[in-house]
Amino acid sequence: MSMKQEKLHDISDDMFQPAKIDSSENEQIARESTGFWKDAWRRLKKNPGAITGLVIIVAIILLAIFGPGMNEHSYSEQELTRAKLPARVPVLENISFLGVNGVDIRGTDQYEAKGYEDEYFWFGTDEFGRDQWTRVWQGTRISLFIAAAAAFIDFVIGVAYGGISAYYGGRVDNILQRIIEVLVGIPNLILIILFILIFEPGIFSIILALSVTGWIGMSRIVRGQVLKLKSQEFVLASRTLGATSGRVIGKHLIPNVLGQIIITTMFTIPNAIFFEAFLSFIGLGLRPPEASLGSIINNGFKSLQIYPHLVLWPSIIISLIMIAFNLLGDGLRDAFDPKLRK
Amino acid sequence: MGRYIGGRIISMLITFLIIASLTFFLMKLLPGTPFNNQDKLTETQIVQLNDKYGLNDPVPVQYFNYMKNLLSGDLGVSFQQDGREVSTIIGERIGPSAYLGLQSLVVGTIIGLFLGIIAALKHNSFLDYGTMVIAVLGISIPNFVIAGLMQYWLGVKWQLLPVAYWDGFAYTIMPTIAIASIVVATIARFMRTEMLEVLGQDYITTAKAKGLSSTAVVIRHTIRNASIPIITIMGPLVVGLMTGTLVIEQIFVIPGLGEKFVNSILTNDFPIIMGTTLFFSLLFIVVILLVDIMYGIIDPRIRLAGGKG
Repeated sequence: MSMKQEKLHDISDDMFQPAKIDSSENEQIARESTGFWKDAWRRLKKNPGAITGLVIIVAIILLAIFGPGMNEHSYSEQELTRAKLPARVPVLENISFLGVNGVDIRGTDQYEAKGYEDEYFWFGTDEFGRDQWTRVWQGTRISLFIAAAAAFIDFVIGVAYGGISAYYGGRVDNILQRIIEVLVGIPNLILIILFILIFEPGIFSIILALSVTGWIGMSRIVRGQVLKLKSQEFVLASRTLGATSGRVIGKHLIPNVLGQIIITTMFTIPNAIFFEAFLSFIGLGLRPPEASLGSIINNGFKSLQIYPHLVLWPSIIISLIMIAFNLLGDGLRDAFDPKLRK
Repeated sequence: MGRYIGGRIISMLITFLIIASLTFFLMKLLPGTPFNNQDKLTETQIVQLNDKYGLNDPVPVQYFNYMKNLLSGDLGVSFQQDGREVSTIIGERIGPSAYLGLQSLVVGTIIGLFLGIIAALKHNSFLDYGTMVIAVLGISIPNFVIAGLMQYWLGVKWQLLPVAYWDGFAYTIMPTIAIASIVVATIARFMRTEMLEVLGQDYITTAKAKGLSSTAVVIRHTIRNASIPIITIMGPLVVGLMTGTLVIEQIFVIPGLGEKFVNSILTNDFPIIMGTTLFFSLLFIVVILLVDIMYGIIDPRIRLAGGKG
């Protein structure tokens, strides 16, 4: 007991100093603040599926940009003497189970038989001897372009339509929603097919046809969100402080709906790619030598039994694109709205 | 309820009439000629053919005639098949499509429900992740890719199943898998989410607390309540099935309505295009209506009558 008291005496007054009382420091934020986007990105990074999707998308976009230029063949260059060669890749051709050694399913080395021993066609060639690698990436480029353009048009029309409908409400909303009810009653696939029949087949008519009904989903989501948001207190506060309609929409409503908009777009893109492939598949797509993934697959189907490689590679790529966008879309949905997470 | 259904049926008819008119005018805008041997025909023959099918009348007259016939159930005659009735052709073709669609829907729903329930009960386990992988693949991989891969591996390479055509049950297996994949994936995913939602509810805790066996809790309380919202995704699923039959019938050379539709597009057979379009639209509208009504009956919390919209 006494020992302890003695020790306490060792602690002298000069070891202390008064605490600084400064009210301004109480409010100081010690760490960098985490905004909505940063928070979402942090959550997204933790989701392996979403990151896989993101990596696949970036890789495929890069290949779609640079792939067609990676060898000396162009997508429309025909040479019948080298038609329907199987895939052959340098180095990998020595590993027989990969099936990229230029030997067809009957077991003959087509490159030797047709006198192209020195050539390498990484995905083989199609029925006109066009390089399949170049065509597949050219097709991917066009498919992605169509999807991106369709998604952009859906975005513009959908956000404007849904936003106006919800923000102004009342009679405007009523009329706009009745129009949508009728449009929703028509199976969109059939409407798309009818529109494509009227326009001349081509990239832009496909984009237009996809946009005819594509924006409805987006407009519904934006309308729902804006309806929910516009009655909340922060909007009321902003209005009370004298904000104009433009400011309320631009500063408060749109930033809060943006997450939902991005998610919807992420699902619009694979949808558009599927519909484009579908149209090409039933013979309403691009005209050769133009190619999209769908038309390349459709072409390959004619000789599926003997030359499966013509279907295999584009099928893998279109599936990868669809999987990647779906994974990223799911991941973004979880990242933007953790409440929904199960 | 009765008033609600009456109102819905009226708006359904209006929608249908709008679709019919839209289809008609879109058809009129189509380029190309419906007669497949036009080059060989003389000027007079073309005029005669046009007369025969009423194509020389002014468009409003044609429209009026078409709508009049439509309301009495007459869809007109095919241009390509020597004036056969469109309704007869649809009647002949509907069999395989309906069979395929229903089989895919039933098989897909059962497998999907099963996978979804298992995934939710074994949440965060290997089974759960496996099911989710299947669901993402099923939603992502286009049905024609699945069909092509199966045709090559199961049909050509291993010769387990017939490659194409329509001649007995074995011929339906591959098309059914290709169409049902999207159904399985959608339902499994949806059911899993709903099950997890229900499992977290207070009444499940109550049921457990009062000493019900876990089987009874799962079957009587969880699965029953989780299945209700499944009806809401039936509309989109039916669209998926329709899209499915269009391509899949083409790939497997099945003499169904989808295959006829695609071929009539490629040959400019306007009456068939219009007939099938209207048929598909009607099917779609009716399904949506049934879904809404059923939903109201099963879940009384959703007030159909009285409320706006």
